[in-house]
Amino acid sequence: MAAAAASFHVRSAGAVRRRAVNALMTGALWAAALSILVLLAFFVGYILYLGAPAISWHFLTAPPSEVDAGGGIGPEIFNSFYILILTLFFTTPIAMAGGIYLQEYARPGLFTSAVQFCAESLATVPSIVMGLFGLLVFVTMLHWKVTALGGALTLTLLNLPALMRVTQEALASVPDAFREGSMALGATQWQTIRRVVLPSAIAPLTTGIVLIAGRIFGETAALIFTAGVSVSTGRSAYDFGLFHQAETLSVHLWYTHSESLVPDAARVGNGSALVLLVMVLIFNLSARFIGLGLSRRFMGK
Amino acid sequence: MGALIVYLAYMGLQLFVVDHVSPLTFLFSSNFAPDEKHPGALVFIIGSVTITLFAICVGGPLGVAVGIFLSLLAPKRLAGAMKPAIEILVGIPSVVYGWLGLTLLVPLVREHAGSQTGFGLLTAGIVLSIMILPTVVSLSEDALRAVPVALQEGSMSLGATRWQTIWNVLLPAARGGLTVAVILGIARAIGEALAVQMVIGNSAVLPKGLLAPTAALTTEIVTDMGSAQEGTVLFHSLFSMALLLLLIAMALIFAVRLALRRSA
Amino acid sequence: MITMMSMPAPPDGVLPETAPKMRVENLNVYYGKLQAIKNASLRVPKNRVTALIGPSGCGKSTFVRALNRMHDLNPSVRVEGVVTLDDEDIYAPGVDPVAVRHRIGMVFQRPNPFPKSIFDNVVYGLRIHGARGRRHLMELAERSLRHAALWDEVKDRLNHSALELSGGQQQRLCIARVVAVEPEVIVMDEPASALDPIATSKIEDLIGELKKDYTVVIVTHSMQQAARISDYTAFFLMGDLIETGKTRDIFFKPTDKRTEDYITGRYG
Repeated sequence: MAAAAASFHVRSAGAVRRRAVNALMTGALWAAALSILVLLAFFVGYILYLGAPAISWHFLTAPPSEVDAGGGIGPEIFNSFYILILTLFFTTPIAMAGGIYLQEYARPGLFTSAVQFCAESLATVPSIVMGLFGLLVFVTMLHWKVTALGGALTLTLLNLPALMRVTQEALASVPDAFREGSMALGATQWQTIRRVVLPSAIAPLTTGIVLIAGRIFGETAALIFTAGVSVSTGRSAYDFGLFHQAETLSVHLWYTHSESLVPDAARVGNGSALVLLVMVLIFNLSARFIGLGLSRRFMGK
Repeated sequence: MGALIVYLAYMGLQLFVVDHVSPLTFLFSSNFAPDEKHPGALVFIIGSVTITLFAICVGGPLGVAVGIFLSLLAPKRLAGAMKPAIEILVGIPSVVYGWLGLTLLVPLVREHAGSQTGFGLLTAGIVLSIMILPTVVSLSEDALRAVPVALQEGSMSLGATRWQTIWNVLLPAARGGLTVAVILGIARAIGEALAVQMVIGNSAVLPKGLLAPTAALTTEIVTDMGSAQEGTVLFHSLFSMALLLLLIAMALIFAVRLALRRSA
Repeated sequence: MITMMSMPAPPDGVLPETAPKMRVENLNVYYGKLQAIKNASLRVPKNRVTALIGPSGCGKSTFVRALNRMHDLNPSVRVEGVVTLDDEDIYAPGVDPVAVRHRIGMVFQRPNPFPKSIFDNVVYGLRIHGARGRRHLMELAERSLRHAALWDEVKDRLNHSALELSGGQQQRLCIARVVAVEPEVIVMDEPASALDPIATSKIEDLIGELKKDYTVVIVTHSMQQAARISDYTAFFLMGDLIETGKTRDIFFKPTDKRTEDYITGRYG
């Protein structure tokens, strides 16, 4: 056995060095990967540590304060959901129509590649630039001032490409055999898409939409100049007015740090950061579970 | 998309057409004095480029390393745990990254790196490095997964170590996809506004080093847009900066296309 | 249906028996819970060609991948048993699989040249093992390419991409790449299955040459090919190694009924 181990073992100094490099780099790759996990765990723990003392029923429901301590984030949470729902309401039909067209109908050609190129470019437009565009169109040109609707429409532009992409990828994951099976029974292409392709793609589609919803929820830069940095001062803090200003929670976190005069800005910021993080976790987890549940129901696995 | 470009181009060019500011002044002067019709944006351009370079030099290799790990080395369970972790990192809003930078990194840099305030290029660069990680990780993982297993087997069967296989065969074979990963990381970094704005210090002066506070294109827009009067030189110059950012984004998309075409 | 009479005769003048270069004893391979190889034992004689035949899915490829520890790359595969090279167990604790693969090279079913130049492909293994110097590498590259009967076809375009070559040329390049690192055993997993008949016959001629210097184990789905090129044959069926022996014996007087059925075409 000793001889066996010796002859399969590294003989030259060069071979020893190559094995050492291999071991070293393997260790480095492991360290890099684990550092990401540690980083995330640390972030979550740290925000929890900072934010937990700030959380109370009062904080979560009370209106914010401009000057005095003791302000809450109730209307901001409401506005975040309100703008999220508005945005999804506009984005989903357009993005799905576009995605279905590109994936199922479009023939390769100048028009198709132009649409693809636009979608890709739109996807890399920085959100602050999109925010200025929204400012220009909705605030300045249409004279709406800063509004919930203007914010939602700006976010629609910002997230259209991503959702279109999600639709395309979800549809692409459906095997062609499903389509052929349906078409062979005499179904039209639209019937096939509606009754076979879309139901089969429902799991990745839902997962994708929920993940994007999480991103819309946390979007800030595009909203500062379109939906505003104050909550509505109308009849109620929980205001469904499309044309009222509507500061969201993420904008509030930024505003608290940079402009606000309240003495307890750190407390409000810590609490807001924690609520935002928890929401992101909820969106991610529910995306995962909804996706799993749906694919189990429709695909039998 | 067309409307967006036309509109921003129209607004962004007002500075040069209506206010008669020379584009050279805008691009190459470091004196930002819009009230005196001298809106030199060089400080912001340098700020944006520096923090982006920093982020890509730190976050790029780290991200590719994790991509390699996930596509080739990770045991199934660990990979299963890391996927959602990376999705969550993508999902964390940029203001929360900014807030973390503010409460965690700024004091750290102030006390240990010898900076007076803790705000500045270094802090912003670190925050951005973390923010681009998920983009680089998932794209480079995809790029490496696209390399046929046969190439890996061919190399290993010749007696190459795992690392030799990665370095000599897999990384070169995935070059196109890895380039795309880095370019999109750059795109994410240069366009980020709030997280940077919260930690860079926001002073329109040329930084004397990595520790000095300064500003970037995006942060200057965030800082001054709220108070800019419509039609002023300041207002117009902010739109010129937005146009510049848009042009950079489009140039990066072209670069992606080029990289993909060359690798195909 | 193929009858025994239509089978091509194995090489005339049966070569003298040689000592075993490799031995496999009680080999079991599992993919998760599924057992792909059941208790297989085989001797691989030195400087001879040993062919593994059997219907597709019978475990031939799984078996040869156990010969140079390629299964190590897939964590869901488990290998049990003893495989020796010159009486040393390659699965013994402390053995470096990289060193094993250095001594036992492999050629795959589909040609898998690296997306590099022809020259860089041939010298890849040499560089991996520390060889340097353009002139030195050039000499070794030429020798390996001549050995693989490819030199005349590529000598004027060594800097071109290997992907420009035809499928048959690519496969010979992969053989040259293995030969260059001078292993002791060359394992080939259906090396000609993706090639046309002319390219196939070139590969077969090459294998006849290679056995002067190397021990060759080849998986093939073609009985005719096994009969043409091999000295020894092993027949696999559903993970069992049914019968081994001299190729002439396996083809003309198989002892097992199942081998006979397969040889005469009764398994399709």
